[in-house]
Amino acid sequence: MSTVGETMSPVLRRVRAYFAPVVRASETPTIFDAAQSGGFGLDCPPAPWVDLGWIDGFVRKCGTKVVALRSGAPATTQMQVRTEIEATVSFGFESWGKVQLALASGTQQMNLLKVASGAVAEGSGGTAVAAVALGSGSTATVLQVGVAAAAGFAVGELVAVDVDYVAATGFVGSGLSGAYVRSALTDVDYVRRVTLNVGRIASISATTGALTLEAPLLAGVPSAAMKVSGVVGFCDREGSSFFQEWSGLFVGEGQQGERVVWFYPRLQAMVGISEDVSASLGGYEKARLAGAFRALPVVDAVDGETVVCFRSYVAG
Amino acid sequence: MQSAKDTFYEVLRGRLVVGNPERTIVLRGVTRPGVMVVENELVSAVDLTDCFRLSWGESKTDVAGALPMVAMSCEIEYETAGTAANAGMDRGRMLAAMDGELLVAVRTWPQHALKNNYAGLAFGQAVKAMSTNVWWGDVVFGELTVEGERLKRAATVQVMSYQEAGEL
Repeated sequence: MSTVGETMSPVLRRVRAYFAPVVRASETPTIFDAAQSGGFGLDCPPAPWVDLGWIDGFVRKCGTKVVALRSGAPATTQMQVRTEIEATVSFGFESWGKVQLALASGTQQMNLLKVASGAVAEGSGGTAVAAVALGSGSTATVLQVGVAAAAGFAVGELVAVDVDYVAATGFVGSGLSGAYVRSALTDVDYVRRVTLNVGRIASISATTGALTLEAPLLAGVPSAAMKVSGVVGFCDREGSSFFQEWSGLFVGEGQQGERVVWFYPRLQAMVGISEDVSASLGGYEKARLAGAFRALPVVDAVDGETVVCFRSYVAG
Repeated sequence: MQSAKDTFYEVLRGRLVVGNPERTIVLRGVTRPGVMVVENELVSAVDLTDCFRLSWGESKTDVAGALPMVAMSCEIEYETAGTAANAGMDRGRMLAAMDGELLVAVRTWPQHALKNNYAGLAFGQAVKAMSTNVWWGDVVFGELTVEGERLKRAATVQVMSYQEAGEL
């Protein structure tokens, strides 16, 4: 660590965001250890962190209240206590995608599955085309669907990969919980409707029936029980009851090679679904996904402190 | 700030060469990448076409820190008359290509580099790595102007650096 690096205030240009799953059933976040991984390549975060791209308008707010305890006459501050611990973070995404939409919405974010012929119109998509089973040899980036089924997909098409819904309740969605089912449903495609295990087809092999994806699936290698549904778009709904929760990591890289890393083990959306519309060039307007999140607590195993976020400084 | 100026030029030149290795000029009898610093060359009555000409303008200093931070304006001029093979009718495309090469060179991440002191080169000594980085902002393109058969543009980049102790 250079003397200069220690003394100069970081000059930041942009902040890069990453997210990782929280196991909802046990409220177990993904832990980021800045001591081990603080210098990771921004384009290749350590697993299971997923790159959300550059963000702007990154604002952290501390809602922690510190009050003085006074005694005596005249009253004199004898000590201070923290009566509330709170931290929030807000920012805008510079790109639109499934993950960005899902996180910004803060609730279940529906995949608009390709609709079966004659399906009744529904706000979040009617009855879907029957999903395609995965064959052996599928990986996080290659889906073996067979030659006949492959002909039903197109390069550039989005696909949702997850299990059939079988009347269960609780958290659903592989890799990252996409929704919480409170009472049993009848839609066999429901898990694929809410899953974040979504990819875009980069190429199709007409000879082997393999769909190659642009990027690995969030949930990794798909299980044999998973199926593939075509996706035409995404949909979120104001009024949804589910609170999406995720671990957030934000990296600001200083110009001297130093880094400021903000790690929030548990984040939940604190506002509804909205966009930040701003003027663009040529008389157009640009709609950016905007989100504001509240940090929830974890216990730091090092000393048992209950905290909501970690700020680390890693010298260049 | 000379080291910052030299470092930025070296980085920009390297990136422009990667973007288009065929963009070269012949200057004082030497074929070299198509980028030059005007103040480092002989005064010329004619501006070279199809190359990037760097010149340094306004400088501001922020002294509210452990080290003074200096921001300098680097103006990058370039112009083209197109190619003779196309009777100059490709001058718009040629200028657009230069716009693109410059944009990529400036915006390629990271937008900072370790500052080097090149003063020793004049005395046969090695380049010395310094303690801080040079960093720069985005390129701001000026208006396209027409001068006879030539299309011309000037772009600006803000280049920042900490002024280290003893640095010229």
